[in-house]
Amino acid sequence: MQNDAVRSSDEEIVRQVLGGNVNAFESVILRHRVHVLTIVKKHVPENAVEETAQEAFVRAYQALPTFKGTGAFSQWLSSIVVRTCYDYWRKAYRSQEIPISALTERHSEWLEEVIAQMPEEAPDERESQMEAREILNWALEKLSAGDRMVLELVYLEGHSVQEAAKLLGWSKANVKVRSFRVRMKLEKLLSKVKEQGRGR
Amino acid sequence: MRSRISENESLKTAFRDAYSAKGREETRHEWQSQTMSRIRQIGPLKPVAGFWSAFESMVWRLAPVSCLLVLVLALFFVNMELDVDSDYLGTMAAEMEKPSLVEFFDLEG
Repeated sequence: MQNDAVRSSDEEIVRQVLGGNVNAFESVILRHRVHVLTIVKKHVPENAVEETAQEAFVRAYQALPTFKGTGAFSQWLSSIVVRTCYDYWRKAYRSQEIPISALTERHSEWLEEVIAQMPEEAPDERESQMEAREILNWALEKLSAGDRMVLELVYLEGHSVQEAAKLLGWSKANVKVRSFRVRMKLEKLLSKVKEQGRGR
Repeated sequence: MRSRISENESLKTAFRDAYSAKGREETRHEWQSQTMSRIRQIGPLKPVAGFWSAFESMVWRLAPVSCLLVLVLALFFVNMELDVDSDYLGTMAAEMEKPSLVEFFDLEG
């Protein structure tokens, strides 16, 4: 019931914007900024969050005449945001703006420890998160823009292949193949980290 | 069978937690006003053109050109002098004229 109300008012705002009321789009930003920022923050570095969120809303505005209203507006917006994040990485890879991070012995030790743990033994969240994020960032830097997006959507966010394909605007087969390959790549990278620790 | 590191449940959970924590970080909100000023610069949106509306706009765009073309061709044909002796059409007309006149006046013996 509440969802219907939100949905109908989203559609109402879209109608107003399409009718020439440009300022009505501010309501779209206010209603969906948290949702958009949550997606953007996960996919792009902190210093690019605002710029990417801004770009996503501008793209959404320009694409508004193509919104048919058959599905939820937030879903339609999510796919624009994900594609904007993908474009951010494509641009960053082209201009070689990818930061190169290095891992230390501490990361290898952490990886060994986590792997040795039983699934129900939750690691200390605060301590663990820093290492996990650094290893994850290091591994993601080694992947292409497309592989990166697939790994994030399928492996880290738990989206199905179909959902990821819809968000990226790719075919299911493409996402499936990429998802398999990128997991293999991740496996190799993590093995490397683990072996580095043993070699020391 | 050797188990995969990336499929280890504890590691997967740690990675997923670290990844989703990124989405909860605080952000400033100045970008919103900048977004709106960019959108105002773009201005009101034009509706997506369907086939018929695109066709219609094309027809109206081509209408003056078509009118001009018709006018030029009309002037050209009005001013054109047809040389019957040398013209193929003239020859054809002459050939067709003979039997038809004969038939018309019933002069055939």
